[in-house]
Amino acid sequence: MALSLYLDHPSWLHRRHPVAKVLALGWLFVAAFLLDHPAPLGLLLVLVLAATASARALSVLHQMRWLLLPVFVFTTIIWTVFYPATADGPVDRWVAFRYGLGMALRLETFLATGFVFLATTTIEEFAFALSRLGVPYRAGFVLTLAFRLVPVFLDAALTVRDAQRCRGLDFTTGNVATRIARYAPVIVPVFIGGLRRADQMAFALEVRGFSAGRPRTSLPRPGMDGSDLLLLGVGGAITAVVVALRVAGIGRLVAQ
Amino acid sequence: MHELTRMWRNTRMVVLTAMCASFYAAVLIPFMVVPIIPGVTHFRPANALPVVCSFLFGPAAVWGAAIGNLIGDFFAGLGPGDLFGFVGNFLYALAPYRLWRACATGDPVPKTAGAWALFVVVVATGAGLCAATVGFGLQVLGFVPFAVLANVVLVNNCVTALVLAPLLLAVLYPRVRRVRLLYDDVIGPRPALSRARRALGVGLALAGALVAFGGGNLAAAGALPPSLAASPNLGLAAIVLPGLTLAAVGLVLL
Amino acid sequence: MSAAAGRADGPPLVVRDLTCRYADPPAQALAGVSLDAAPGELVAIMGASGAGKSTLLRCINALVPSLAPAACDGEIRLGAQALLGAEVGRLGGRVAMVFQDFEAQLFSTNVRLEVAFGPGQLGVAPDEIAARVERTLALVDLADFGGRDPSTLSGGQKQRLAIASILAMEPEVLLLDEPATDLDPIGRRELYAALEGVRGGRLVLLAVEHDVDPVVRADRLILMQEGRVVATGPAAALVQDVELFLACGVRPHDLAVLGRRLGCVLPLDVEGAVAALRARGLPAAAAACPPVEAPPAPPASGGAATPAAGAAVAGRARRASPILEVRGLTRVYEGGTRALDDVGLALGAGEFVALIGQNGSGKTTLAKHLNGLLQAQTGEVRLAGADLRTLPLERIAREVGYVFQNPDHQLFAATVADEVAFGPRNFGLAGDALAARVDETLAAVGLTAERNEDPFLLRKGERQRLAVATVLAMAPRVLILDEPTTGLDYPQVRAMLELLARLRAAGTTIVVITHSPWVVVEYAERALLMRGGRLVFDGALDDLLADEPLLRSAAFEAPPAARVARALGISARTVDALARALGAGD
Repeated sequence: MALSLYLDHPSWLHRRHPVAKVLALGWLFVAAFLLDHPAPLGLLLVLVLAATASARALSVLHQMRWLLLPVFVFTTIIWTVFYPATADGPVDRWVAFRYGLGMALRLETFLATGFVFLATTTIEEFAFALSRLGVPYRAGFVLTLAFRLVPVFLDAALTVRDAQRCRGLDFTTGNVATRIARYAPVIVPVFIGGLRRADQMAFALEVRGFSAGRPRTSLPRPGMDGSDLLLLGVGGAITAVVVALRVAGIGRLVAQ
Repeated sequence: MHELTRMWRNTRMVVLTAMCASFYAAVLIPFMVVPIIPGVTHFRPANALPVVCSFLFGPAAVWGAAIGNLIGDFFAGLGPGDLFGFVGNFLYALAPYRLWRACATGDPVPKTAGAWALFVVVVATGAGLCAATVGFGLQVLGFVPFAVLANVVLVNNCVTALVLAPLLLAVLYPRVRRVRLLYDDVIGPRPALSRARRALGVGLALAGALVAFGGGNLAAAGALPPSLAASPNLGLAAIVLPGLTLAAVGLVLL
Repeated sequence: MSAAAGRADGPPLVVRDLTCRYADPPAQALAGVSLDAAPGELVAIMGASGAGKSTLLRCINALVPSLAPAACDGEIRLGAQALLGAEVGRLGGRVAMVFQDFEAQLFSTNVRLEVAFGPGQLGVAPDEIAARVERTLALVDLADFGGRDPSTLSGGQKQRLAIASILAMEPEVLLLDEPATDLDPIGRRELYAALEGVRGGRLVLLAVEHDVDPVVRADRLILMQEGRVVATGPAAALVQDVELFLACGVRPHDLAVLGRRLGCVLPLDVEGAVAALRARGLPAAAAACPPVEAPPAPPASGGAATPAAGAAVAGRARRASPILEVRGLTRVYEGGTRALDDVGLALGAGEFVALIGQNGSGKTTLAKHLNGLLQAQTGEVRLAGADLRTLPLERIAREVGYVFQNPDHQLFAATVADEVAFGPRNFGLAGDALAARVDETLAAVGLTAERNEDPFLLRKGERQRLAVATVLAMAPRVLILDEPTTGLDYPQVRAMLELLARLRAAGTTIVVITHSPWVVVEYAERALLMRGGRLVFDGALDDLLADEPLLRSAAFEAPPAARVARALGISARTVDALARALGAGD
């Protein structure tokens, strides 16, 4: 399993300042959230897909098709069924379907935007952006460290699963409770492995000056440039247009 | 809430937070291929872990569950819903150790009927808060209706945690104590709380969870006074948010 | 060397009467340790587990007692700075340590950022950090890896990255706690080469090491036992003291043992030892020819005859009715990498086989095919004639047991006895039969007294034997062990290997995956050598040792005694056989 979605190649989006990317991500989330009509949401999704293609990151969406396609179908159906009932009579199924389609497109826009962000941003850049946006350093560090440890634990979990299979542990039979209980022989060894490592990791961090209490520095990092501002501007403009549409009451299906 | 911020100064707690988070994510990821609701929730045997870690590592587990869920979402779609996942899992890991230490003196390894009853209440409260938070957030964002998601999350969390957590705690709790990594050993014990404060905290937490989850379900089913139901989302917010706030205040008191 | 002690370009490290007692559980770790280390010096520290080596390093680095509850007394100074009881954060990186577990000391997902982490915490100016990153990566030969994710590096590369990350803080004392233990031979070689590049200047280097071969090159050696320094001196001289090594629970150097047996002191390098032996008129004509062991058979190309009598019997049994038979086994991973390429072999009853090769050569992949964890894509694996793909895992597990490398990967139960019972119970054993099986197995691995203990609390060597027991409890005819001696000290390794020898004598076929050359030559008769997914050698170990180009191509270095024997034209692979061939008594 490819664990990180990050694509290690240069593109205009890879080169953007992490803070600009996080803010643009936020803008797009807000814009998609404020829309519920399939047409403008479809337009927004096309925009995101164009950006993804220009960053040569479409492969990530392809890799995630097992998620994106069922989400689309499922969301359309469920919101067609659960279309918010109003007091004034029976629900128009066509309106409900359009609403479901809108929700599905909104969700796909969220997901696609998130994936292209992850495909073009390293975890350290993300943590750096968070720290610039006011998240404490140690919280960002935990995010980075946890991300780095996931493959270590995952590897251990797969090894333990194999080791216990050799001792007759079977995940495929029995009722739900017994099946769930069978995870204990897998989870315990992985956990213990982590436990044996925890102290050493704390020691290693201290050795590297984690509690030195001095102002932290890092490798030289370029500041935001014109292209970063442009990215922010475009994201902001899209959101502004959406807000304007919303205020004008154009393209709304449901009053909120 | 002091210990939730103070723990960040302790390097061991920082490491334990990262461990809880990555461990949670590492067990989440392999089972993401078994979706219950595609793109939103999966069969998650990993959901016993925030409960287990909560009893062992306290505040480190609280942040670890929130961050671990976020990292899990890095592989299944980053989106605005993650904010609610963050808060939901935060509460899911916050409730167990706080409620347990307010109500019991023994190890969180249920053996007697009384201990089992408390264990169930404690886990269900955390699961209810998580379910209400996530269910509310994703309905407002337009992902999945509250009535569907909140109940799926509650059942998934309760079943996995109640089956798996006692098994894991029975083996892990004594060992973690032996290597002195229980949260009390790492950050030092706290002064005892007054009986009144404990009663108030527990009462608020339970009532809040009930309002947020039960009331949320009622609201979603349309069983609300029309004045509240100006729009479905506003109606839901009017019930769920006060409930969550109540519970959070209660947990902070403990 | 000690002459460097007077050098003025850096402060010396001084430890005086250091005692350390852990509070929980109460244990005396150090009982009056004194040592001096001068700038530029490389001091090696050896001793069995529990000797206090790690605690000593942790005290020097101020990790103990500030981060672990312990009562310490005595003095540790670096120049004018007192280290004992200081806060590690306040040392400003002057003293720093590299740990054995490389996964526990890498925190980033990018090599350059990893190296920049330490200086960044110390507030070094950004441009200076950039310069240090490039400089230290070049020093450990990772200059081309700056953009990589550390998780994509090999173990040896990760450990060198850990060293670079420490060096970037420009410490004056560098402590290394068994940095090579988890590495394969190539990784070790690279690590030692990197350390040679770092050594000298104003850096004090203290390295805990369990393998004596590289220690010979240190300036000084300190031997520890039960919290005390029992000997200290120039490494090359001290290594000759075989009795002292054995008393301290450390495996002595092959050539020191040989010299001891012959009543002389031999140089500790192969060429020097050969020259010295020749100068003494050894081997005497009678000893060199005829050899004490049977003449080597012609190079084998698959399931060939083996010279030793026992092995020959096994070889016949294998041909007649093999337990496991592999034919044309090929496995291609996504992306076209051939993990296994047309592998064929047969395993008979009662064999002791070493499966060797570099990391990534396909050893583990092959082993996982033998017990059904992986199913054959192309080719087949047959168990007593039946295709493994058609058999339930239960049946396979009863015939072929697999002990994973890290014992902690299979232990989960609350007691030792429960742990052993888990496998057989899953396969339907119950009641008295199960109890009898557990008793039998615990007796076999020597853990009867520990049956009610928590496996978590056992020592590493005991956990390793328990891991063997969990598999042994299913009474397999073939036992495959992946690196069963990693991280164990010499007495523990011996205990493990004697256990395997006993099992083998009782008829179990043993397949050991190992990087440890002396384990191979002392215990195995047959070798399987993997390289790039191909089985490039299958035959008698003596034949493999005779084929130096093949060994070199697989990065497998025979132990010094075997190489000396070969240079002298003697057919012997262990120190013992060589000493006897050279006329030494028992």
